[in-house]
Amino acid sequence: MLRITGGKVYDPANGIDGVVKDLCIDDQGLFVPAVEGGRTIDATGMIVFPGGVDVHTHVAGGAINFARAMTPEDHRRTQAFIRTKSRRSGLGGMAPTTFATGYLYAGMGWTTVNEAAVPVLSARHTHEELADIPIVDKASLTLMANNEILLDQLEKGEFERAKQVLAWYLWSAKSYGIKAVNPGGVAAWKYGHDAKQLTSPIDGYSKLTPGVIVTHLARICDELGLPHPVHLHCNNLGAPGNISTTIDTLKHLEGHRAHIAHSQYHAYGGDGWDTMCSETAQLAEYFNAHPSITTDAGAVLFGDTVTITADGPWQHLLYKLTGRKWGNLDVENETGCGIVPYTYRPSNLVNAVQWAAGLELLLLIKNPWQVFLSTDHPNGGCFWRYPEIIELLMRADVRKESLLKLPDGIKGKITLPEIDREYSLYEVAISMSAGPARALGLFQKGNLGLGCDGDVVIYEEDENVRKMFGHPRYVIKGGEIVLEDGEIREAPSGREFIVKPPCDPGIDDFMRPLFEDCYTMSFENYPVEMERIHNPRMQDCIEVPR
Amino acid sequence: MPITFHLKRQPSVPLESEVFSPDVMAELTNTEIRALTIYHGKRQLPISDFFDVEGERSEDLVMHGAMHKVRWIGRAMSRGSITVHGTVGMHLGAYMKGGRIEVHGNASDWIGAEMKNGFIHVHGNAGGQIGAAYRGSMQGMKNGTIIIDGSAGLEVGMRMRRGTIIVGGPAKDFTGLQMKGGTIVLMSGAEIRTGAWMNRGTIISLKPLQLMPTFVRSVDASPMFVNVLAKNLKSLGINLPHKASEGTYRQFAGDLSVSDKGEILVWQPVA
Amino acid sequence: MQKSKFLPRGRKDRTMVLVDIRETKSAKAADIFLQVRPGKDFELITILRALIKDRQVSDQAIAETGLTREVIDDLIRRMKGAKFGCVFFGMGLSMTRGKHMNSAALLTLAAEMNAFTKFVAMPMRGHGNVTGADVIMRWQTGYPFGISFSRGYPRYNPGEFSTVDVLVRGDCDAAFIIGADPGATMPQPAIDHLKRIPTIVLDPHVTHTSKLSRVHITTAPQGIAAPGTAYRMDELPMPLKPALKSPYPSDEEVVRRINEAIAKKPFWLPDGSQPQMLNAQV
Repeated sequence: MLRITGGKVYDPANGIDGVVKDLCIDDQGLFVPAVEGGRTIDATGMIVFPGGVDVHTHVAGGAINFARAMTPEDHRRTQAFIRTKSRRSGLGGMAPTTFATGYLYAGMGWTTVNEAAVPVLSARHTHEELADIPIVDKASLTLMANNEILLDQLEKGEFERAKQVLAWYLWSAKSYGIKAVNPGGVAAWKYGHDAKQLTSPIDGYSKLTPGVIVTHLARICDELGLPHPVHLHCNNLGAPGNISTTIDTLKHLEGHRAHIAHSQYHAYGGDGWDTMCSETAQLAEYFNAHPSITTDAGAVLFGDTVTITADGPWQHLLYKLTGRKWGNLDVENETGCGIVPYTYRPSNLVNAVQWAAGLELLLLIKNPWQVFLSTDHPNGGCFWRYPEIIELLMRADVRKESLLKLPDGIKGKITLPEIDREYSLYEVAISMSAGPARALGLFQKGNLGLGCDGDVVIYEEDENVRKMFGHPRYVIKGGEIVLEDGEIREAPSGREFIVKPPCDPGIDDFMRPLFEDCYTMSFENYPVEMERIHNPRMQDCIEVPR
Repeated sequence: MPITFHLKRQPSVPLESEVFSPDVMAELTNTEIRALTIYHGKRQLPISDFFDVEGERSEDLVMHGAMHKVRWIGRAMSRGSITVHGTVGMHLGAYMKGGRIEVHGNASDWIGAEMKNGFIHVHGNAGGQIGAAYRGSMQGMKNGTIIIDGSAGLEVGMRMRRGTIIVGGPAKDFTGLQMKGGTIVLMSGAEIRTGAWMNRGTIISLKPLQLMPTFVRSVDASPMFVNVLAKNLKSLGINLPHKASEGTYRQFAGDLSVSDKGEILVWQPVA
Repeated sequence: MQKSKFLPRGRKDRTMVLVDIRETKSAKAADIFLQVRPGKDFELITILRALIKDRQVSDQAIAETGLTREVIDDLIRRMKGAKFGCVFFGMGLSMTRGKHMNSAALLTLAAEMNAFTKFVAMPMRGHGNVTGADVIMRWQTGYPFGISFSRGYPRYNPGEFSTVDVLVRGDCDAAFIIGADPGATMPQPAIDHLKRIPTIVLDPHVTHTSKLSRVHITTAPQGIAAPGTAYRMDELPMPLKPALKSPYPSDEEVVRRINEAIAKKPFWLPDGSQPQMLNAQV
């Protein structure tokens, strides 16, 4: 039991903007009106936020684990967590180890993370890794947009069947929702091609286009009532002039809920690397006019990182551009992924545009409930650098100073210098917690209301925004004080959110022959057993209004 | 007066002792030096558990004993000197930034790995990965000089960028592997795969080499820079033949699987 | 062999090239067999890397690998012409002279082949769940093998911390061995050191190593009498379902009980003597 008194509370889910208010958490780790006994934290003069929620990150699974193996040189120079009686050892850096991931997230007040790209085939592996990420609660999204069995159904126009196939896959993976990456493009990459046009048929299909996949996946997510809508990584990531693809994709989504992942990478104008510029104004305008669509920034921070994405063709291009290490994974007929270490440099015009574009989106999309803090960890930057982004959002003068580091050629390519908006604490609380929680359909998260999960982060008010958000005074997860005075005190294991969509019982018989025809493992071994999920928490499906 | 260390008992497991560095000890009293922590396996122990320590407050360290299990001596040191009478373990002078290390005896692997500058001279034999990049890293030694009087192991100068490595005795396989710059001088040649995947840089051998198939022979001549190098090496007591009357250097370019900008020069003495 | 949308005739649509130093049984299954001279793998692969980029290599240099220019040109044409190329390699490469560099050569060749067509490379791992150990070490420590925890956090240096090197140099004063039989495979100095120090073995069987150990705990065989997970060499985890019952505990249970017993002892470092996090590692 825990009482937090005297703090200035920011709880956007309940419209509370900096009101001094007491919070109580009971033995179940939920907010209640009052408690008897237990510890009291005197938060007088401090700032109280709901625990952070990361809507899009890559912290577990085959791809990030491949990245870990590829970057020993980074592990050697990064933060090292020393083993104690209650804490495991680990390494931070570009691709942190599992235990360190939990400590680093909790260390800056994040208590829920969404692993955004899991192939069903490696779901068993991903769940094992997620179980080794302490403190934070987790959800995971299943990669669906390049699954051959599903694409075959869509090609045949069998929509109902496709919906059942998807539900079957989702439950087999014990996942929380659907991620679509470069629809059709990853499938084509298996033969060295890509899918760039939304309305052109994909390699190996006669009618099926990326546009058809996008529309149908969005519709399926709505009809199944998944709490999180389709989580879409658009085609043509990172390419100059891709804004037209992105807007085109958004038009294919009209009438449905959708979350657009890391939209910074999809908001470029120009027709080559020399002319590449930011087209965030155009994208932001679309978001401003369509309130049912959410996005996360996928902001870029200058420095070293490792890029990981299911977008295999893009990664091969990046490998050729940089001449650095490259790893590629193909996951049978489901998806694939590429891994390339990368350094974003302010002196590089393309990187400078990317850096500005991420911030522009966060600032130009007016409604903070629509655009969330993310770096698409580790692609744009490491998650433990979020406080740097918060500072850039809250302080126009810091932005101005950073702009001075950019090359002269940046003029006319970005709009950031003209933007004066500064985030208030209330808006930061939406962007890092309440907003992503709502978009994920995790109504018990990012919310300090009664009955919600007792995840709280308490900051000492500080002029230095980066320091304040980087070093919370207390972090409370499910009513337990996990961090105090900069030290991880407890490392409880977190829970995993899972959705069981309605599924036709006959679908097994339909899937079996198709499955046995093209997979290399037995049908019975494919679905992840429920016993393998540590601390599962079932989340209900919802009714999505048409 | 230098600070002197005598190993008084043999560690049973490796002794990790990066505190043996003038940067750490230069301002410390004898008592403070004795109390510095070294790692015997996972146990943290004071230096005095393993060493007799004489002297204090000096930039010059002198070490005595069979210290083949003592690792990381001179790690990242930037000034002063370390003189060893005896053997030393792995990672001698790794990440070194400046100063001098001299070993009268044998040393092990990873000497001067990823060093930025400084001077290391091993009078005995050495292990592999001299001046190399650690696994996964693309940056071997960036500058400085390493001299090995005796033999050397595998992957000497792997991924080095600048600086000079001179090996008196024979070196093993993969000398100059993925080299990106700098100079390696092999006084007694090397085993196979010398210069494999080298991008740039120069390997000079005074003995015939068995070259990779991806090197092409260009000319027989002594390039100007060999004269300059020979002059520099002379001041270190190393005699690099360079006079036309003595012979010429046969030049090879490669490694063609990567680039043609790397060069291997093999000395052809006048018969 | 599996049929697929793009390869409807199964095996007939595929070409298999076998490269080995002698004609093994696998040669019968292959369409083309190339006999390379022993110890020339690295040279051959490096020649291929040069030739796919249209760099010139002399006939004599090629001949030293045991192959002719015609054969190599044909191989390159087939590689570049393939829709999806896959290279499998095993211990003949990674455990002969050149070791990790032979593997690195092949992986680099596969990466560079992607400039022309889709190409991948995959190691054929040794017996047992090697891949599983590798995968889990990576997510818990960031490194696949050759890891030391002596400073309280993971450090990596194959050659320094890898098992065979640690044993040969006599760097450890105890050994705990699960699911392996180094007594049968490692060089004599390593085996001698295992005999010298307290060696504890967990194994369902009596092995060379268990015979020289101080303690042998018999465990249930994984996948036969104990459940678990094994990672396939393409890193996909497979559930192991036991068919039999065993009177012996599983490896996992033994390790857990050892851990519980250790947890009751005082921690080997006094509380608070270490920082939570180091910003500069050693």
